[in-house]
Amino acid sequence: MKIIYFTILLLLLSGCQKEVITFSTKASDVFYVENAGASMRVLVEGNTASNTFILVIHGGPGAGSFVYNTNYISQNLEDKCAMVYWDQRNAGASQGSANSNNLQLSQMVDDLTKVIKVLKYRYGQNMSLFLLGHSFGGLISAAFVTRSEDQIMIKGLINVDGSHNYPLNDSLTRQMLLTFGLRQGLYSKKAQKWEKIIQYCLRHTGNFTLEESQQLETYAIKAESYVDSIDKIDLIGTVLSHSITDKSPLTSILVNLLYSEDSDFNKELLVANYSGSLSAVTIPVLVLWGKYDFICPPALGEDFFYRISSKDKKMVISPVSGHNLILQDEKLFCYEVSAFVKKYK
Amino acid sequence: MGNSVKIGVFITVLFRCYICQAQSDSITKLPDSHFKLKLSSNSSVIYPGISTGIEIPVHYIKEPELIRKSEKRAFFKTRFVSANLSWYHHPEFHDNLYFTVEWIMRRIRSGGFTSEFSGGPGYSRTYLAGTTYTVNESGDISVIKNAGYNYALVTIGGGLGYDFSVKRKIPVSVFSKINMLSMFPYNSTIYFRPVLEIGIRYAPVCANGIRRKGSVLYPK
Repeated sequence: MKIIYFTILLLLLSGCQKEVITFSTKASDVFYVENAGASMRVLVEGNTASNTFILVIHGGPGAGSFVYNTNYISQNLEDKCAMVYWDQRNAGASQGSANSNNLQLSQMVDDLTKVIKVLKYRYGQNMSLFLLGHSFGGLISAAFVTRSEDQIMIKGLINVDGSHNYPLNDSLTRQMLLTFGLRQGLYSKKAQKWEKIIQYCLRHTGNFTLEESQQLETYAIKAESYVDSIDKIDLIGTVLSHSITDKSPLTSILVNLLYSEDSDFNKELLVANYSGSLSAVTIPVLVLWGKYDFICPPALGEDFFYRISSKDKKMVISPVSGHNLILQDEKLFCYEVSAFVKKYK
Repeated sequence: MGNSVKIGVFITVLFRCYICQAQSDSITKLPDSHFKLKLSSNSSVIYPGISTGIEIPVHYIKEPELIRKSEKRAFFKTRFVSANLSWYHHPEFHDNLYFTVEWIMRRIRSGGFTSEFSGGPGYSRTYLAGTTYTVNESGDISVIKNAGYNYALVTIGGGLGYDFSVKRKIPVSVFSKINMLSMFPYNSTIYFRPVLEIGIRYAPVCANGIRRKGSVLYPK
């Protein structure tokens, strides 16, 4: 009996790492990329036969890619191209042991380069690959595309509410909170709550510490919830509702997020700034932004848009979105991304 | 033989019965061969797994249980050391093969119902649920065979069950138990994983190595 059991066990264990590469209109392949102490999960879902791939660089740090894999995107984007959901190191379903020393921005850019190389190794060197950076993912993609040797690996960049300059981001968040609060917040039902935010912004004027930066982000998240015009979304609910179909490792997602949010890595991010090198970007770029994004204000998107040298570039503002345009305005997101990819693939 | 030794032997013989009686009423070492084998499903919500193990009794304590105001029945507090080899399969995440050594505190009611708490250290080896690639400095790509990680593990758990040997003299018990695994260092932090065990325990032999006809594992 025991021999039979262990034989089955060994077969299962050997079977679970079998290489599966699917070329179809409804592919769903999972593989891992090991680099510097982290094994990062990559899910390729959708139309791999199209030879067009969009690599999602999620926010955070540590947020994971599960939240982006919605039914709407599956039905309206994955039929045209393949979405690549990459869990960065110390995020989502990515695994490792004692690897905190490698939680650095330069390491993450190296991770991204290697994920792209593995993607091309699996699905073909001539694939049309686009990067899609959201929030913190905008910083990684900015670091990546400002290196000319890396830029040629992709056909185009989609920047959705991404942050390419953290010090500027903090200043713009403060400015937007203050301006919106004084003009509209104080005259709304949430006047008392806006008053608290305004007072904080008036007391903290610049050269922000990590604590101030985090407090501004906390107020930005709250401010978004005070604005009635925004389509509200439940990020936790979204992850939980898909947890069975997506086979999400919920506790891994949680502990990775908590660790990354609280790690010293955030001190490095406080001064991360790629504004000065954005002129090196020449590939086609699509910039999508939420009008009510207090976390990464639209002015940050404009800074990115006007600094890049790309001749083929477009910026679209969603009137009903905050920081999570991908989920808050899925129709606009899928429409614009589809059109962009179709044009430049 | 000195006088003091003679007195010592005399006192020992005189009180031998009392000493033995006292032990049988309160704390008695169970025969070492009263081990139990365990086989259980080891799932986490919807994902499958299996666990096998052996439980070696360390001692039991017989105590009165208040049924009604004037009625008491005996129940047993038993203590085991167990060794387990377990596995679960989380598709697209990992397979986890882990070994644990646990201290089990089990209470057996006079009717046969059991409750228990357990905890102990262990070792885990995970196997990533997908082909794992590595890219070297030259850009060459290769597949890592049996990719995964080694983790230290601590488990705590609690559950309920029913022991058929108490009333029906069948050396089998059934149980369900929730264990919380904590594995570390997992991405420099601790990974938690709840798993649900549902299974049976079986006591194959008694003290002399042969099961006596109609024997019970817990003397009344």
